[in-house]
Amino acid sequence: MKVRVRLIGQFSERLGFAEKDLEFPSAPTAAELTARVGLKGLEHVITREGLPLACEDRLKDKDRVVIAPIFSGG
Amino acid sequence: MKGWTGNILRIDLTKKTHRKEQFTEEFARKWIGGRGFALKLLWDELKPGIDPLGPENKLLVVLGPIAGVPMPNSGKTIVAAKSPLTGTYADGNIGSHITIQLRKAGYDIMILEGRSAKPEYVLVEDDKVTFHPAEDLWGKGTFDTQKVLEDKYGRTAGILSIGQAGENKVLFAVVRSMEGRAGGRPGIGAVMGSKNLKAIVVKGTKEIPMADPKEMKARGVGDLKKVGDMDKKSKWSVQGTNAVLSWCNEMAALPVRNHRLSQHPEAWKLDGQRTSSARVATYGCPNCTMRCGIAIKDKEGHESEIDYENVGMLGPNLEIFDLKQMASLNYMCDDFGMDTISTGGTLSWYADAIDQGAAVGDFKFGDAEAAKVLTRKIALREGVGDLLADGSLKASRKVGHHSEAYAIQCKGLELSAYNCKYVPGQALAFGTSAIGAHHKEAWIITYELKFSERGGYGRDKAQKVVDLQRIRSSIFESLPICRFPWIELGWDLKNYPEYYNIATGANWTLDDFLRTGDRIYALLKAFWCREHPDTDRTQDYPPRVYFDPRIADKEGIIAGKHLELDKYDELLSHYYDIRGWDKRGVPTRKTMVSLGLEKEADQLAKVCKVSEDCVPIGNRGV
Repeated sequence: MKVRVRLIGQFSERLGFAEKDLEFPSAPTAAELTARVGLKGLEHVITREGLPLACEDRLKDKDRVVIAPIFSGG
Repeated sequence: MKGWTGNILRIDLTKKTHRKEQFTEEFARKWIGGRGFALKLLWDELKPGIDPLGPENKLLVVLGPIAGVPMPNSGKTIVAAKSPLTGTYADGNIGSHITIQLRKAGYDIMILEGRSAKPEYVLVEDDKVTFHPAEDLWGKGTFDTQKVLEDKYGRTAGILSIGQAGENKVLFAVVRSMEGRAGGRPGIGAVMGSKNLKAIVVKGTKEIPMADPKEMKARGVGDLKKVGDMDKKSKWSVQGTNAVLSWCNEMAALPVRNHRLSQHPEAWKLDGQRTSSARVATYGCPNCTMRCGIAIKDKEGHESEIDYENVGMLGPNLEIFDLKQMASLNYMCDDFGMDTISTGGTLSWYADAIDQGAAVGDFKFGDAEAAKVLTRKIALREGVGDLLADGSLKASRKVGHHSEAYAIQCKGLELSAYNCKYVPGQALAFGTSAIGAHHKEAWIITYELKFSERGGYGRDKAQKVVDLQRIRSSIFESLPICRFPWIELGWDLKNYPEYYNIATGANWTLDDFLRTGDRIYALLKAFWCREHPDTDRTQDYPPRVYFDPRIADKEGIIAGKHLELDKYDELLSHYYDIRGWDKRGVPTRKTMVSLGLEKEADQLAKVCKVSEDCVPIGNRGV
């Protein structure tokens, strides 16, 4: 299954991409996905359709998630 | 007294006199500095109801006990006055060499009173104050003014100036410094202009008093490197605050078309990657470790220094997605000395009013060239610019036809670049901000998403808003200091009391700051109530369109969503309950006395009904 990942701001700069598809053999949890992306241990918020996901929430094929740092604006 | 110089420089622009006064240690420990000092002094010294643009208003430049020391991001100054835009206390937090120079000159506070008969600038050199004709500077933009004064007094002289917007008393004119820095959104630049004061220049040579100067130097040098390294590692400064644009668009919290929409497919053209790629220079404030001023070339070839609020309000909010054109609008605002947020919010209200048939004109969303013409007219108060120079609320009241409903403001100040149609906690943060809708008071959107329920109205959100207002008012606005190391890099909040203690010899904890933050916020709201004695809870509502189902997005991730008035009212009641304010949003006598504001409660009671105590939540109704 494929999940599209969109990284915001410093995360895209650190990991070298803003948006890409990731392949998984089976539906990952949000925590598994962020670990795979390389954000484990970094404070973040992960959302699907504008609503937050808990660590244990499972993703579906063709989901698009947005991962952002906990920032506070200008 | 250590940490503070203990000195006020009071300058009378009418009589051309000045004197040095002292403040007490008790005053210093009760109000910290910055906003705390300015608020208390303006409360004591301004008669209620005075004309903010009259000579009786006072312009304050205020510092605090760690201002200007070698500590990460400590180069901030507070400029304050009664606002001509909101009619209440107002301040701005501006990065400037004046932070260091005024402290070195031996002052924590500068009070400018009266009005010069002709345009002037004031020069402070330690104990010497001189008044200089500024007819040759009057009519110049802030970039030219800064350059002329820098050429004369040196690149590190502390310089604050206004542009044509301040001279013409545009109600959202700002004070500018160091070419790229601005402060005083609610018209502090107009107050300066009303005094015929083009600029303030300060040069100091004295030592800044510290309880433990050795420790301050050692700690500061180490932390400057440490925070700088944290920034490099995180790569925050690569995109700076402009990263917020993509996130707001993804979350449907972006102001598009005067907040009628909250996402736009072309928003990516202005995002953090695009602005970072277009960067030609980077700027920051004194002692900055994470410089956020990203300069790009505008359509005319000027360097235009942008951050998210500028981009959000002059870009998607006006449906302008050409990066260079947006940068041109930003450059014009900076040069005229005009707040970019309120300029964007007022122009978008005008385009909306024309769309709705309330106003006559040919300005349309997306028309960057017309927006530039209007921006110039606002700064010079020419034609329709004279109407728009008063901000969206006052303009809408003149135009009528129900256009006030879509003036996106609170207490007269236009919202910063966050669309709160489906973010109730942030709507509360804007609604209850006692200086008007400013993001510097509290910003809780990521909290709402990660730790709460996005569309929920739980008491936890009211608590979070109160917590942030406490922290920001006491630490960041009163020390004063930049909040970015804490909010963007996670530099521990406990550092700030530690620096305060090194500077002053005190033994404060974070709790002492939070309590002082409550005192400051109670007096901030009392100031509003004293100037608006018939105030009620509706003054703490966000823009009305957020409650209107007809304005809900028609598609996208928040299609059909909008704020619900009865639930917002409940959230507001929780906020008042936590604060100890009555159901009109007026601090009670019991609350004010508990915060050491007994005298101020008596003064407030002379003009506005002050309740003795709160009615327990659940029995109060709305």
